[in-house]
Amino acid sequence: MPNKRAGHLWGNSGSFLFLTSPFLLFWAFFWVVPLFTGVDLAMQESQQFSGSLPGTGYTHSPFSNFERAINDPKFIHSLENTSLFVGGSILITLGLSFFLAISVYELNKKFQGICLFLLLIPSFALPGSLATLFYLFFHGKSGALNQFLVIPLGFDPINWMMDPSWILPCLVLQAVWRWTGVITLVLYCGIRAIPHWQFEVARIEGATAWTKVRTILFPGTRHLLLFSGIFLLVDGVAAFSGAYNLLGGSGGVLDAGLLFVTYAYQVAFPGGSGRFDLPLASAACVLVAGTTACFAWLLLRVRKRMGN
Amino acid sequence: MNRLFSPILTGLVLLITAYPFAWMFLSSFKTNREIYQPGKMLPESFDPFAYKLLFSGELFDFTAVLVRSLLLAGGQAIFACLVTAATGFALAKGRFRGKSLLFWAALLIILYPKQAMSLALFEWMARLEITGNLYGLMLSGVASGLGVIFFTQVFRKVPDELIDLAKVEGQSPFFCFFTLLPLIFPALCTYGILHFFLCWQEHLLPLLTLGSDQLTLPLALAKLGDSSYHTPEAVGLAAGVLAMIPLFLLFGYFFRRVRTALADWVVS
Repeated sequence: MPNKRAGHLWGNSGSFLFLTSPFLLFWAFFWVVPLFTGVDLAMQESQQFSGSLPGTGYTHSPFSNFERAINDPKFIHSLENTSLFVGGSILITLGLSFFLAISVYELNKKFQGICLFLLLIPSFALPGSLATLFYLFFHGKSGALNQFLVIPLGFDPINWMMDPSWILPCLVLQAVWRWTGVITLVLYCGIRAIPHWQFEVARIEGATAWTKVRTILFPGTRHLLLFSGIFLLVDGVAAFSGAYNLLGGSGGVLDAGLLFVTYAYQVAFPGGSGRFDLPLASAACVLVAGTTACFAWLLLRVRKRMGN
Repeated sequence: MNRLFSPILTGLVLLITAYPFAWMFLSSFKTNREIYQPGKMLPESFDPFAYKLLFSGELFDFTAVLVRSLLLAGGQAIFACLVTAATGFALAKGRFRGKSLLFWAALLIILYPKQAMSLALFEWMARLEITGNLYGLMLSGVASGLGVIFFTQVFRKVPDELIDLAKVEGQSPFFCFFTLLPLIFPALCTYGILHFFLCWQEHLLPLLTLGSDQLTLPLALAKLGDSSYHTPEAVGLAAGVLAMIPLFLLFGYFFRRVRTALADWVVS
């Protein structure tokens, strides 16, 4: 939050209007107006229902589409899947990235840069490429996951994309694979920013590795962990490309991998379920995006309190 | 942590992250039969048939797809850098009414999932009759909340004495902003790359707003992955490899600057 008193420049508001006007213009034109367009669309009567009102018991009201969304089992199912997807990917990515950042930090300085760069490689790939790679390399009886993880542990090979109970974990793994490098880089920078004397004191006092994590590394990076969590939350709710490529635009077997944006896409366009119900899709988007924004804002308030 | 734990964990994760991409590159020279044996690393021969097929134009004009994606991501990144850096400068160094409101506007963009806005944006662009227009799509992503917050932090670290000097010399804020741009070059590179990276991977909005004759890379990859096209798997992998190259080069060349700028930003 900017300090109102801060600022060192000329007190001429006109000059600043000139500097900020391009942003304000683009913001209004491509964010505010579409936001209201979305709300307006969500309140319109669906083409599916117009003309079929008599005898159907359906009366349109501005909130009809929101009600229809909430009463649509597929929407609720997509929300459950998205919550599991987001929760799983945030927990695993943050946990793994945190310990990975510490590990890289403790490596010889010569190797730190190259390790960080190599860890970033999955994030360079398009989500579509990750999906293809996941399908060809990890998936299948002879795929890497079965060959190196499942079979050596004594289990039967898993049919990752056809078994409904494994589709969602596949999507979570894909998200973790994609973002771990980026979050590790951010947390590594955070660890580098911790004053060195804290580590010296810990060393002199003979602190164990766990004590260092608990008293120095975690407090020193918790703001970044929260920031990364918010980033992953917003990105996870909006996840589309990976699931779209991996499941061919569907939700997979029994809709086990149906994420929220895929649901909205399916409802809105004939390419999906053929419903072409843009008002319902908009109502679902307004509900979910609004809730996510509020939740993320609450998390930011937590961050502010932590700062105080 | 334990002296052995760090290299083992790092090595293991590096193997999981980097090895599949080495396999992906080598598999772009393989036949389907070889690809369906993921344990096999090297191809029987390094025949670049997949790359030839991609650039032959038989499937679609892949060169045009690459150029379109570069134009979209590059153009949007440059515009976003300039627009958000100017706003960040005003927020960091200016004193004017509505400053908090501007900050909240930027924050809202970050907190509101972009993909959930895509349907409404598509509807709005359709009303304006700018769907199918690459430049319309390019401009739609210029107002970046992340950019504004990032540059606000960056300009806060610029010494106030420089601003005083500009005042004494009678410079306008606008001119002062442009004078200071070389000072924040690493930050400009970092954000430019980050924005390029996010735009390069954008799938839903191009899918909704661009026609089937105006594919970008994510759309082209989805098309190649569609089994009804019966393209060899190597072609999809080759396209994936080619799609990674620009990001690989950008990050490779600017990685040190990105790390420095990110570390400065993290501290602030």
